[in-house]
Amino acid sequence: MNIQFKKGALELCILALLNKQDRYGYELVQQVSKHIEISEGSVYPLLRRLTKEEYFTTYLQESTEGPPRKYYRLTDKGRENLHQLIKEWEEFTEGVNQIIKGGVSDE
Amino acid sequence: MNKEQFLKTLNSDLKRLPSNEREDIIRDFEEHFLIGFKEGNSEEEISEALGSPKQVAKELLATYHLEKANESGKTREVLHATWAILGLGLLNLILVLGPFILLTGIMVASWTLGIAFIISPLLVVINEMVNPGTLQSFFLFFSIMLSGVGFFIVVGMKLTTSIVIRGFIKYLKFNMNIVKGGYKNE
Repeated sequence: MNIQFKKGALELCILALLNKQDRYGYELVQQVSKHIEISEGSVYPLLRRLTKEEYFTTYLQESTEGPPRKYYRLTDKGRENLHQLIKEWEEFTEGVNQIIKGGVSDE
Repeated sequence: MNKEQFLKTLNSDLKRLPSNEREDIIRDFEEHFLIGFKEGNSEEEISEALGSPKQVAKELLATYHLEKANESGKTREVLHATWAILGLGLLNLILVLGPFILLTGIMVASWTLGIAFIISPLLVVINEMVNPGTLQSFFLFFSIMLSGVGFFIVVGMKLTTSIVIRGFIKYLKFNMNIVKGGYKNE
């Protein structure tokens, strides 16, 4: 089941992770998969899509260990979208919680 | 699957993408493997967690074609995008195929009707040549009137088709955003 829920949620998670700091791809993948079971590879197509929709800009930064890393930075447009998605998410979970509460307490 | 096999499969599945875009994607995954390796994971572990490179490629292709369809609005690009999204997973197949068949049916039928109306005087003339003597002026006038109606239908359909295509692209985007595949329990 929950494919649809997770899909929308993944975009929200990525945007939220980038709200306070820029992060590189591997880091984003690890942060998400720490909490949610995903195929990690599916994060990259999402990152590309969101970059094209101008929610992020990217830049390369040298790393002390290994090759330069591609960092993602949230744009104003991305931040706006994040707040919109959070609002929708809260309305959605609020609704589901109401239903659960009503359904379970009546038993 | 090790790093090389993963990247090779991804690369060959993405051969329809422009090469700069493909190289960019491969670089992202190379970076992922390198950092993961530095953190003490084996190539096999990393690629296992990434999931199937084929599924990753499918998602990237669907996004790419959808974007092209969105830019050009050309029917051919829309078909490409539809096809790519159909391949993503069962849910996409169900959600996209139904509306696609319905809309295509309506579009083809309306265009056919308009064009048939436009050429109907020609059909009357051909009929007269095949079966001489059966021509009645009523048929001729009626078919000329139909031809006029057909002209309006075709002009209307030109407009409608571009609106429908725009709308369908939006629907495809919505599908990509909501039910794109790639999750473990799919």
